[in-house]
Amino acid sequence: MTQIDGQPRVRITGATKKFGDNVVLNNVDLEVRAGEVAVLIGPSGAGKSTLLRCINGLERLTSGTVEIDGVRLEYRERSLNHMREHVGMVFQSFNLFPHLTALENITMAQVVVGKRSKSEAHDRAAKLLFRVGLGEKANSYPSALSGGQQQRVAIARALAMTPKLMLFDEPTSALDPELVGEVLQVMRELADEGMTMVVVTHEMRFARQVADHVVLLADGAIAEEGPPEIVLDAPASDRARSFLSKLQADG
Amino acid sequence: MEFLNALIASSPALLKGLSVTIGLTALTLVFSVILGAIIVAMKMSSIPAFSRFATGYLAVVRGIPLIALLFVIYFGIVSVFKVDAFTAAAIGLSVHSSAYVAEIFRSGINSVHNGQVEASRSLGMSRVATMSRVVAPQALRVVVPALVNQAIVSLKDSAVASFITVDELFMTAQRLSAATFQPLTYYAIVSLYYLAMVGAMTFFAGKVERYFQKRG
Repeated sequence: MTQIDGQPRVRITGATKKFGDNVVLNNVDLEVRAGEVAVLIGPSGAGKSTLLRCINGLERLTSGTVEIDGVRLEYRERSLNHMREHVGMVFQSFNLFPHLTALENITMAQVVVGKRSKSEAHDRAAKLLFRVGLGEKANSYPSALSGGQQQRVAIARALAMTPKLMLFDEPTSALDPELVGEVLQVMRELADEGMTMVVVTHEMRFARQVADHVVLLADGAIAEEGPPEIVLDAPASDRARSFLSKLQADG
Repeated sequence: MEFLNALIASSPALLKGLSVTIGLTALTLVFSVILGAIIVAMKMSSIPAFSRFATGYLAVVRGIPLIALLFVIYFGIVSVFKVDAFTAAAIGLSVHSSAYVAEIFRSGINSVHNGQVEASRSLGMSRVATMSRVVAPQALRVVVPALVNQAIVSLKDSAVASFITVDELFMTAQRLSAATFQPLTYYAIVSLYYLAMVGAMTFFAGKVERYFQKRG
C-alpha cells in the first residue's frame, strides 16, 4: 500500500477527557505514523470524535498529552494556531463559510494564515477544486452545492494549507447515500498519495480498503486495534465482536 | 390653509433644528456602534473581569430612563469638564443606545453556527481573524434590520436633548409653539418632520437588506 516510515506523526499518551463527571476518554494511548491511515470506529458515544478533536485542540484533554511530530500540544492561542496550520480538519456538517464562494472558502486561510499572495492562493484553490472534481463550481456559494460537493470543497479548503495530517470527523455521515461515494473517492486518492489521516467513520468498507490501522473505541477506551483484516474480521475482544456483529445485522 | 402657512413659515427654523437632530443622531449611531462593539467584546471575553464589567454596564444603562441618564451626564460632566449641552447629549444618547446595540451584536454573533468558528480555528485562524472574517460578516446580515430599528429609536430619542437645552428639532418646535400659542400646530408639524425622517430611513434600510440578501 502506501509508504510508511517509522516516525510517529501523532502520539497520544494517557488521554483522558471528562465533561463534568462524565468520562468520555479514559487513559487512551494512540500512535499514528507518517503516511498512515488510521480509522477510528466504535459505537456512538464511544469517544471517537472527542479523541479526534483532542488531536487539534478543539477539545482540551483533562489529562494526558498529544504530540504532533514530537511537539507537544499546548493550549496557548499562538501555539494552537501554529499547529493547526499544519493539521487539516474535515467536519461532519462541512462547515463551509456560507458568505464566501467555493473558491473564496479555499483562499481565505491561505492568505490570512499562510501569508500567501492573493494570486498564489487563488491558483492553488483553483487547482484543488479541479482535483476534487469541482473545477466549474469555483464561483458557487455553498448553498448552491450538494452535500457531497460541499464536503469536497471542505476537503480542498483543508488541503490548501498543505497539511501534514488530515483529521476527518464522520465526513460522510450527513450525506445522502448516493453522495457518499464521491467523498470517499477523494479520501481514497488522498490516502494513496501518502497523506497521514485519522478518520472517524462508520464506513466499514472504507476502513477495510483504505485503513492501515483500525482502532475500535468503546466506552472511552481502545477495545481493539490493529490492521483491518484482524480488527474487522478476527477481533479478539467481546466488545469488538458485539459491535461488529451489530453492524453486520444492520447490513 | 393656516396650517400650510405655518408649515412653510416655520421651515427655516425647523430645518435648522433638524440639522442639529441629524448631527446628534449620526454621532449617536457612530459612537453607540463603537461602544456597543467594545461592550460585546468584553461580554464575550474569557477574562472574567471584562465580562462582569460588561454585564454591569448593560444592567445599569438599560435600567435607567434615558432622560435621567442624560441629566446625570449633563450635570455630572458639566460640573467637572467644560462641555456644551450638545456634547453632553451626544454622550448620553450614545451610552444609552450602546447597551441596545451591544445586545443586537450579541444576538447576531450567536446566530452564527459554532461549526463555523471551529472550521475557521481548525485552519489556524486566530480568534480575531475568525471574528472579523467569518463571524462578523455573517452576523452583519442578521443585525442590519435590528440596527436600523435602533437608529430610528435613536433619532426619536434625540428629542430628549431638548430637556438639557440643545437647540434641536423638538426644542425649535417648543419655542415656536410658546411664541405663537399654537402648540397643536407646531407639534403636528414637528411630528411630520420626524415621520419623514423615519420614512427615509426605513426606505434606505429596505435597500440595504435586499443588498445583503442578494449575496449568497
